[in-house]
Amino acid sequence: MADFDAIVIGAGCAGNVAAYTLASAGKAVLVVERGNYAGAKNMTGGRIYTHSLAKVFPDYQDAPLQRKITHERISLMSPDSNFTVDYSARELEEAGNESYSVLRGPFDQWLAEKAENAGAEYIYGIAVEDLIIENGKVSGIIAFGDEITADVVILADGVNSLLTSKAGLSKKAPAINQVAVGAKETIELPAEVIESRFLCNPGEGSSWLFAGDCSNGIVGGAFIYANQDSVSVGIVATMSEVLKQDIPVYQMLENFKQRPEIAPLIRDGKTVEYSGHVVPEGGLHMMPEIVGDGVLVAGDAAMLCMNLGYTVRGMDLAVASGQIAGEAAIKALDAGDTSKAGLAQYKTMLDNSFVMRDMKLYESAPEFLETSPMMFRGVPEMLRDIMTPLFKNNGEPRQHVMQIAMPVVKKMGLFKLAKFAMKAVKSL
Amino acid sequence: MKIVVAVKVVADDQDIFVSGDRSLDYSKARQIISTYDTNAIEAAAQLAADNDGTVVAISASTTKADDTKVKKDILSRGIDELFMVADDSLETADSYATAQVLKGIVDANASDYDLILCGDGSADLYAGQVDVQLAAALDVPVINEVTGLKVEGDKVVVERTLEDEVEEIEVPLPAVISVSPNVATPRIPGMREILAAGKKPSSVEGLAGALETKVEVEDIKAPEMTPRKNEIFAEGDIDAFAAAVAEALK
Repeated sequence: MADFDAIVIGAGCAGNVAAYTLASAGKAVLVVERGNYAGAKNMTGGRIYTHSLAKVFPDYQDAPLQRKITHERISLMSPDSNFTVDYSARELEEAGNESYSVLRGPFDQWLAEKAENAGAEYIYGIAVEDLIIENGKVSGIIAFGDEITADVVILADGVNSLLTSKAGLSKKAPAINQVAVGAKETIELPAEVIESRFLCNPGEGSSWLFAGDCSNGIVGGAFIYANQDSVSVGIVATMSEVLKQDIPVYQMLENFKQRPEIAPLIRDGKTVEYSGHVVPEGGLHMMPEIVGDGVLVAGDAAMLCMNLGYTVRGMDLAVASGQIAGEAAIKALDAGDTSKAGLAQYKTMLDNSFVMRDMKLYESAPEFLETSPMMFRGVPEMLRDIMTPLFKNNGEPRQHVMQIAMPVVKKMGLFKLAKFAMKAVKSL
Repeated sequence: MKIVVAVKVVADDQDIFVSGDRSLDYSKARQIISTYDTNAIEAAAQLAADNDGTVVAISASTTKADDTKVKKDILSRGIDELFMVADDSLETADSYATAQVLKGIVDANASDYDLILCGDGSADLYAGQVDVQLAAALDVPVINEVTGLKVEGDKVVVERTLEDEVEEIEVPLPAVISVSPNVATPRIPGMREILAAGKKPSSVEGLAGALETKVEVEDIKAPEMTPRKNEIFAEGDIDAFAAAVAEALK
């Protein structure tokens, strides 16, 4: 007889939701989290699309979410110019479509509390070192010499999941072009200052993504999310490219904050948090096996994350995968078969959900971003060379837009641009 | 053998911030066991294990300490039972008041104690007075800054590490002893201990009656920051810079 029906490793979006789902069905669940509280080790840009959260918690509006995102901003940044699109639409604010800025410290604790109230037990401050594997079946966990057993173990231990490979599920460590490295600062500002700087109503906020010079022209980008009393400012850049740069990521962030377009947004703010994290960006191709004998993988540990340049998602996928993992585990436990075959429905259920549908749809997005350096160095400059003459009046002879644009476009290469555009619309 | 260990629950000093007006901002700070008390807890747990005894923890705290995580943390460190008085009037409690409340807990729940252990001092006030005042209130002997202890019959033999010698003192039981941090290294509770902690008995009560304090707090402020001198030396003027450094070091 195992100590628990299920052990969940990691108290993030996926782990807490899996635990909540299991505990709500009356299963004995233990969650082991290495941080001293849920969210202690978590970092996000951060924005969560709430559709999958709403399915688990109809009262998700009570969660410590920050601001409802009502402005989508995207910028292409050259060294000396910045081209921004600011989009807002009532439809994007409707229930089911909406998203919120979020800080993981308070949010993950809320999730953990939900699971705890449903009956899940929590152990904090312990990093699980190894899995108990008996006759090829994962049957428990090991930390500091203590062993605890369970019929099913759910790995939701994040992007650097060592346990996934201990369970024999990951092919190999992700390649350096499949992960990005991120640095983020949380800068405190009064709510009304944030609202006036980001042009938002109280309770509403903006998401702002940047590509181009902010990551020194390499694959990556910057982000600014308006929270309730703070803004999250950060840089994410593909690790393989970062290694070739002579400026480190933290310097990119520093340079970004100094930009004349950015400095006024954060002026007089107080940096209250500084963090760094690895982001899984390889998409579908870097996913490990998500079902093993006695074990399931969910969230970032399963590399469920997608970066399309204009949209970055991870938490809604983590929440959904946590819920599905929980449901699959319940079925397997009820049937008395938590072997690989018994748990296999997790994969089927995930495949039939939006999670894998979207992961598959954007299968080639990571490769597109990686093989399109002009997106980060080239296109922002091209835009500048078209836009600047459009707005420049200095007494010198003016030209029609066509005369301005064509030479610039030709310089980039019409064919090259067309190919880039085709690839973009196909993969994004 | 019945051992009692006094535990203070305080705001985690890592997350206490100084506001612009030099007041302290506790809003981000979680409640934790006062650092030196973890050493006292460990010493108590080891002593109990070696002498077939039991350890109960007692705590006089604000209601913020009545937190599942904090209580579990205390109980996962080899403690058998926890008795806590949690009342927000204890926010301003001085050593005298705290000792009186602790005495109340001992009288009501652990009057058959053999030994009460205290930490070196609390992480917030560090007055180092509660042990003495508790002993006075209970009318038992007290000894402080103890670096080692063992039980011999109905007394304990304690070590106090002085500058160039180690003092050995016999203390008749019951007694109050406060221990230095190096008396025992606090354990990192394991998964089994944490799980077991959730099932151990603990009781939390409000304060019966008014709190009598001897010290009045007028104000709590962070020390004023000395402004930097901002002496800037011209590039290349290394000699003047070196001279200034040498002067400052004198």
